[in-house]
Amino acid sequence: MKAHTLKQHVGSLSLAAGMAMTSFVAAEQLDVEKSELKFGFIKLTDCAPIVIAKEKGFFEDEGLQVDVVAQPNWKTLLDNVISGDLDGAHMLSGQPLAATIGFGTKAHIITAFTMDLNGNGITVSNNIWEQMQANDEKLDSDTPPHPITADSLKPIVEEKLEDGEKLQMGMVFPTSTHNYELRYWLAAAGINPGMYTKSDVGGRTDAQVELSVTPPPMMPATLESGNIQGYCVGEPWNQQAVSKGIGVPVTTNYDIWKNNPEKVFGVSKSWADENPQTYLAVTKALIRAGKWLDAADESGKLVNREEAARILSRSDYVGADYDVIKNSMTGYFYFQKTDKREMPEFNVFFKDHATYPWYSDGIWFLTQMRRWGQISEPKSKDWYYETAKSVYKPEVYLAAAKLLLEDGHVEKAEIPWDADGFKAPTKDFIDGVEYNGKEPIKYLNSHTIGNKDPEA
Amino acid sequence: MNDILQINNASVSFGPPSNRTDVLKDLQLSVKENEFVAVIGFSGAGKSTLMNLLSGLQQPSSGEVLYKGESIKEPGPDLGMMFQNYSLLPWLSVLDNVKLAIGAVEPKISKSELDEKAHHYVKMVKLDHAFDKKPHELSGGMRQRASLARTLSLDPEVLLLDEPLSALDALTRSELQDQILNIWEKDKRTVVMITNDVDEAVLMADRIVPLTMGPGATLAEEFEVNMARPRDRHTLNDHPEFMRLKSEITKFMMGLNKESKELAADIIPMPKVEPKSFAPPVLSPTFKQNPVSRKGNNNVA
Amino acid sequence: MKLLKQLKYSLLKVIDLSGLTFLAPIVRLCYGEEPKVQLQKIGQWILVPIAGVCAFLFLWHITSGSIQTKSGTLPNPVETWQGYNAIDTQAEREGLKKTSYELVGEERDQMLADAEDRLAEVKVQVAETNAAVTAAKEAVDAQTKELIAPLDKEYKELKSQYKAASKARKAVLVTDADSLKAGNVAEYNAYYEKVEESVVKTAQEKEELSILKKKIDKIREIKSPEVAKALLEQTFAAEEAQYLSKQIELLSDRNRAVQVETATGMISTYNEEFLSLTGKAAYDKARSIAKAKERLSKMESSSYAQPATIWYQVKRSIFCVFTGFIIGTAIAVPIGILCGLNSTFMAAMTPFIAIFKPVSPIVWLPIALIIVSGLIPDPDNNPLMLFLWDLPLIGEYKINPAFIASAVTVALCSLWATLANTALGVASIDKDHMNVARVLKLGFFARLFKIVIPSALPLIFAGLRISLGVGWMVLIAAELLSSSEGIGKFVWDQFNNGASDSLAKMMVVVFLVGIIGLILDRIMIVFQRMVTFEGSVSV
Repeated sequence: MKAHTLKQHVGSLSLAAGMAMTSFVAAEQLDVEKSELKFGFIKLTDCAPIVIAKEKGFFEDEGLQVDVVAQPNWKTLLDNVISGDLDGAHMLSGQPLAATIGFGTKAHIITAFTMDLNGNGITVSNNIWEQMQANDEKLDSDTPPHPITADSLKPIVEEKLEDGEKLQMGMVFPTSTHNYELRYWLAAAGINPGMYTKSDVGGRTDAQVELSVTPPPMMPATLESGNIQGYCVGEPWNQQAVSKGIGVPVTTNYDIWKNNPEKVFGVSKSWADENPQTYLAVTKALIRAGKWLDAADESGKLVNREEAARILSRSDYVGADYDVIKNSMTGYFYFQKTDKREMPEFNVFFKDHATYPWYSDGIWFLTQMRRWGQISEPKSKDWYYETAKSVYKPEVYLAAAKLLLEDGHVEKAEIPWDADGFKAPTKDFIDGVEYNGKEPIKYLNSHTIGNKDPEA
Repeated sequence: MNDILQINNASVSFGPPSNRTDVLKDLQLSVKENEFVAVIGFSGAGKSTLMNLLSGLQQPSSGEVLYKGESIKEPGPDLGMMFQNYSLLPWLSVLDNVKLAIGAVEPKISKSELDEKAHHYVKMVKLDHAFDKKPHELSGGMRQRASLARTLSLDPEVLLLDEPLSALDALTRSELQDQILNIWEKDKRTVVMITNDVDEAVLMADRIVPLTMGPGATLAEEFEVNMARPRDRHTLNDHPEFMRLKSEITKFMMGLNKESKELAADIIPMPKVEPKSFAPPVLSPTFKQNPVSRKGNNNVA
Repeated sequence: MKLLKQLKYSLLKVIDLSGLTFLAPIVRLCYGEEPKVQLQKIGQWILVPIAGVCAFLFLWHITSGSIQTKSGTLPNPVETWQGYNAIDTQAEREGLKKTSYELVGEERDQMLADAEDRLAEVKVQVAETNAAVTAAKEAVDAQTKELIAPLDKEYKELKSQYKAASKARKAVLVTDADSLKAGNVAEYNAYYEKVEESVVKTAQEKEELSILKKKIDKIREIKSPEVAKALLEQTFAAEEAQYLSKQIELLSDRNRAVQVETATGMISTYNEEFLSLTGKAAYDKARSIAKAKERLSKMESSSYAQPATIWYQVKRSIFCVFTGFIIGTAIAVPIGILCGLNSTFMAAMTPFIAIFKPVSPIVWLPIALIIVSGLIPDPDNNPLMLFLWDLPLIGEYKINPAFIASAVTVALCSLWATLANTALGVASIDKDHMNVARVLKLGFFARLFKIVIPSALPLIFAGLRISLGVGWMVLIAAELLSSSEGIGKFVWDQFNNGASDSLAKMMVVVFLVGIIGLILDRIMIVFQRMVTFEGSVSV
């Protein structure tokens, strides 16, 4: 800690001593419209940027006093943001988009900050894992080769279907990244995860595997009770399954779609319109928190993650045991008790321009919503662009980043100043299909399972 | 002198027209102002129903009940009813019970006046040591006195006393009899008292009207009590008029009882089967019904 | 002497009124009244219950260890008490952080010095406990490895052996099939049996392997108490260290007074600079000064964003249950009176009462939440909300739609007992009392307030008591669902945490909720006794 400044305060407070602290009471503070804020989060480690910004005083540096309140589930969280009870919240990437286009609760939600990349895993029960091992000899090892596809799951699904049963899997929310990732993983192996239709809002039409919504903290218990045979969820709930010995994480979303955006910081459009300076100040603090979380020494070791894990393990934040949180936060992941792997990019909070709100990320989620029928009508390419632009606000992000650059809190190379909002096309998916955000319809049509639209 | 209270041919009956039972039938009574009338009868004869008629709590099925020449449509403070079972409000103290009555009669009374008046009436019945007591803290006699104080505080033209003393032990009873007589003599007003005690009736009343056995009870010929007042209970037993009246009335009453018993013996006892009622409990006054209906025993006198 | 006697009677009266009759023998004993009888009563009503509690604690202690869940064993009384301490410590620390933020002058300096000293100590502890955890883990790992090694070896050997055997069988059977003569049923049957036998054998081998595997897994799952203890100590130390560094920040750089002073200093510097500027620069400076002043005034009135502590949550829950209770009473008593007075109205209401009464809070809450948030779309700018936030005492609880929805749910679930009892109380009013009212010619309202309500009060209060009890139970569920800050949310958060001490903390809540419920019930008993009169209908 800043020992020298502390010492000065123990003595009498001279003006000179006060001047030494300009870094705290920054002259560059914005004229925030609202200084006392309340943000919501779900007990997942990827809420870290909000918690860190509070605990490390980044919000205070912006003149903000922020209360951070755990929410019981994604629906309540969204409702509380819409009702104004929360000023902003940790949201699933799909949530602002779905709310804005009116799938589920309709409200214009925007985001200028991506909270993290990756961070999810798919866990199956011990029983299913054994069967998968039987189907694929390669898996029958303490350290099976990755990535693991759903190919070895397919015979199990088919066998169940012959018995008139359907494999049940859990995900956390209809518009969650987990839902789309789990569907992607299954569909990549030719398993139909079911379609949403106007009359089937549960998304089970033609399903070979039925997906149901279960709140993240309930996942291990639901798996244990046998109601579901697998789930896709964020941390620490995959590690929990390992430590409790009830299931085996087979893959992470890093393998399904490398560096996918997991959570965003969402606020309602009306709130942002009323409090533009506050929004900017909040974004500044969050960017700093992200940077703090990803700070690494020369050898690439993440230096702040242990402290972050300790903070997150407090019972009013994520609250899980430090030992459990620490694994994924410090870049390790247990696939089995015998299979601990280094995954330095399991959670990415800042590097590789992770926090920038890419239009192309938003469009990917929109394509998945269309692919699985959550968007019931075919849409034009322009519609995809327009929707992404109405939700993702890189201009706010860049304005905040610019202020941070002036303050010296970020370096020039850390921010994609000249990006047009679209990431370069990539094939880093589990099935190797190329995704180009500028060609959503083409992408939609490149999949075997799911809706396909005519090119306009 | 005009009759202040008058019952003309009043009957009270219940049940459907096809199977009508009369509780009281062809009542005739007139009470003069400042007169003390005692109605004497057996339990279950319909005494309380008669009182309800006089107080206006109940309307006759036929005939009329007049107060100062006008038909009584509803109860009111002029006809001060003192209930058989005290009917004090258990959540109020003695004083507050009285105050409630005074406040109801004189809504515009000032607080100090109300206080003074209430104290006055409580003192009148010699309950001054129990102002603040709740009814359940009082003995039966004290409760009855409190009830009397409340009735008196209404300053009624007519005092209707429904078996005021029947539940009391002999000592308390005589004490209260004296008190009632004292008050009546001091502050003359009309009193109709119901009793089942011949001694009491003779001691207190100017006139005694027997009520015949129900159902279809009616008022029989009355007995005039021609004894000077104040009457002294200690020497009463030596008074020939008292002895005569007492024995005559007793004989008359015993005769009624015998007659009714004989009548009852003629009738084959029926099993006591009553249809089960699915109707919600009715809160209006109900009558104890004799399951056996008899006709033709009305003309007892 | 007389005074003493009077004291005795008033004490006994208070005891009787409050229903704490078990205390009466103590009072009587103090006055030397029939010591033998009193002692016997004390034994029966005080010592026996205490013994019961002790027996319960003992049973709990010995059985808890054997109830295994995947989240660890059921916490025993000691762990539950530790859970309570953890909750309380956190609440206390949050309070101290707030104090630290606002502290000024010498007190602040003193506290800062203390915190720094403490931090130095704790840092040593952190290092020690870290080492202890590593050591404990290594020891356990080594032990586990040792235990597993032979099993694992056996497993691997068996596995390859079985694999080979299975392969060999398959190869033999496939070659055998070559020599089958088409049409020879007996031969085919014999061949089929051989294949079946082989399949069964493979399954048996698999089963054997799986049993072995489970054995190995079981050893891996064994939770070492040493590691758990080391982890607990590590958490203690690390959390304190983290708290202390935050507190030190709040006492120094991030202290409100310090920040205000700095800002004031900056403004005066600006002022000096301003005096020598001209043109646009002067305008800019002046503007900066104005803005800095505005920020300064905001800063001066700012308060530390304190997260909800358990005690705040308890207070808010109690406040919420009373809010709901009052809403429910305001609805139930008038309707109950009307039902009691008028059988037609009662008949009209009966279907609604019958249908709504059994509806669970879990159903009411989402509906209430949607309706309330619909009525209050923007709490920050809602005049009612702003008014409530500015109220003294109540303002602190930040009434929001979730709070109102919870309160409404409490009202909807709890009002039935009051309603039914009020209707019963009014309907069963003594006929004589009504006759008194008629003789006194009381008007409708006089009759209502002087006769009907007082007469029905004992039953109404009996209903209110049941309602408050139901409301308290419902509230916890409602808060859990609506995430309205309160005990229910605390439980849900703990459940979501799934940490090793979460279960203990939830057990603490069991007692907390029980004790508060008991106190609420006691309070209602006192009220009920106060309005009860002799001969009143009781339930």
